[in-house]
Amino acid sequence: MKAGAITAKYEASSVAAERPHHWRRLRNPLISLISFGTLLLIWEGATSLGLIEPLFLPAPSQIAQRAILMAEQGTLLGHIAASTWRVTVGFLIASLVAIPLGIILGFSRTSRAIFDPILSFLRPLPSMSWIPLSLLWFGIGESQKYSIVFMGAFAPSLLYVIEATKSVDPLLVKAAQNLGARPRDVMIEVILPGSLPQILSGLKVMLGIAWTCVISAELVAAREGLGFMIMNGKEYFQTDTVVLGMVLISITVMATDLVFRFFERRILPWKA
Amino acid sequence: MAAEVETSKVSYGGSSWLGHYPVWIGIKKGFFEKRGLSVDWKLFGTSSARMGALAAGDIEFAGTGSISALALMAAGSKAFYVVAAPESYATVEGIIATPEIKTINDLKGKKLGVTFASSSHVLVLDVLEQAGLDPSKDVTLINLPASDTPSAFKAKQVDAVATWTPAFNVLRAQENAHVLLDDREFSLYKQYQFGPGPDVLTVSRDFADENPKATAAFLEAFFEASDFITREPAEAASLLQDLTQLPLEEQSSVLKDIEWTGRAEQQKIMAQDGAFPKGLQALADFLVRHKQIDKAPKVEGWIKTQVLP
Repeated sequence: MKAGAITAKYEASSVAAERPHHWRRLRNPLISLISFGTLLLIWEGATSLGLIEPLFLPAPSQIAQRAILMAEQGTLLGHIAASTWRVTVGFLIASLVAIPLGIILGFSRTSRAIFDPILSFLRPLPSMSWIPLSLLWFGIGESQKYSIVFMGAFAPSLLYVIEATKSVDPLLVKAAQNLGARPRDVMIEVILPGSLPQILSGLKVMLGIAWTCVISAELVAAREGLGFMIMNGKEYFQTDTVVLGMVLISITVMATDLVFRFFERRILPWKA
Repeated sequence: MAAEVETSKVSYGGSSWLGHYPVWIGIKKGFFEKRGLSVDWKLFGTSSARMGALAAGDIEFAGTGSISALALMAAGSKAFYVVAAPESYATVEGIIATPEIKTINDLKGKKLGVTFASSSHVLVLDVLEQAGLDPSKDVTLINLPASDTPSAFKAKQVDAVATWTPAFNVLRAQENAHVLLDDREFSLYKQYQFGPGPDVLTVSRDFADENPKATAAFLEAFFEASDFITREPAEAASLLQDLTQLPLEEQSSVLKDIEWTGRAEQQKIMAQDGAFPKGLQALADFLVRHKQIDKAPKVEGWIKTQVLP
């Protein structure tokens, strides 16, 4: 066999090998797309045939029309921006408090013993239960909304950080201590890098929960935001507005998750 | 009479709001029972929750503010009939403001707390429009539950509130607060004596069509109860305390502010060319103009006047 024929054969078999590889990469997104499209078609068909009353579940086309109408009126972006900002501020403050505090509590048994009763009290409280107190403490302005997101996200975030800190290999801590590292150095040089991947995973979950808190935050004294949009839509039986609000929350959470992953890759390049 | 009704059990969606007083009194005084009806009182915090339950078929009768009824009509639901307009009130709802706010124009640049999608919200939108003020630019409207309006006002978190009784009565009695206006300033009130969100009594369409005698019996008992409240306000106030938790004096004072529309008058005002359907239609058009609902329903398609013999 000539060399050229061998090369041609090799190239042909390599293309043939690549084809299934490409197909494998596209296969799952394609299946997802088809299943999602089928679901939309069935949903649209069921409402247009009158099998489902639009009051109870509006058709996807009706939801899209509502989105277009609100975009034309200039209210849609305002709702998205207001909620995103509230989640960002409340979640950032919760993280900034929970990360250092959680590392200390995870590292020191005495500190944990001091804070455990408070944490056990805070942990089961839903964000909504803070509304009456938050109104008294912070009034009806934006800080009240941030506080609801903060209270909803803080305790679970703190628990994630404590657990992440406790999961750091104690041998590494011991080794650093034996080499003469001070507690502060152990914390910064050993525990923080060791626990960071788990902390970030926990915060990613908490970001989603912070979005559920913003809905509670916007129940009272709000005039814009996706939570307000859903509640106001409910009052006027505009189910399309309600479902649109839900869809927008999902899309926004997905978008913020992508942003989070981007920063995660930057902070933890070895994980990427 | 008890043997005549098709069904003996019905459920009613109510709250502590004054529009539900007749049903509460009717249950306590046995007016429903003597007509063979056992009424199951179900408590709902908002009109929209009540109407949602009616649309879903969970309850047979509901009292509601007309804003929710109109919103449900606009959403295309044919699940109910409007069968009565129980009462009218014009002086138990309005805007309470700090002393420096003397006219509606003084609200420019101020914060006003109001429950969105309520009759008070409609009142605010209307009076601002009458004064040439833009509710989205000139005044900061803040969505507050009616029960939170007194605390928000007292804590100076808002400069004014639009609310209804009992919060309205509580605030009216406060120092550094005065009634800027009440429902009598509403444009449709001036035209039709029609408030910003009058109460309506609704019934499930399926139930009314299948059980005309039970529906009529319910209405008869309802009007007997509203007559009783007019005739015996002291006893009525005492019976209502269980529902509203208001002190007796305050409860009696609330009753004085209500005008009950009797059975005979009902037929007149609810007739096709009567004041009520006209006012309700004008209110629907108003809600569309203020972008609260998408399209104005033809309200006559929901009004049923031939229930009572």
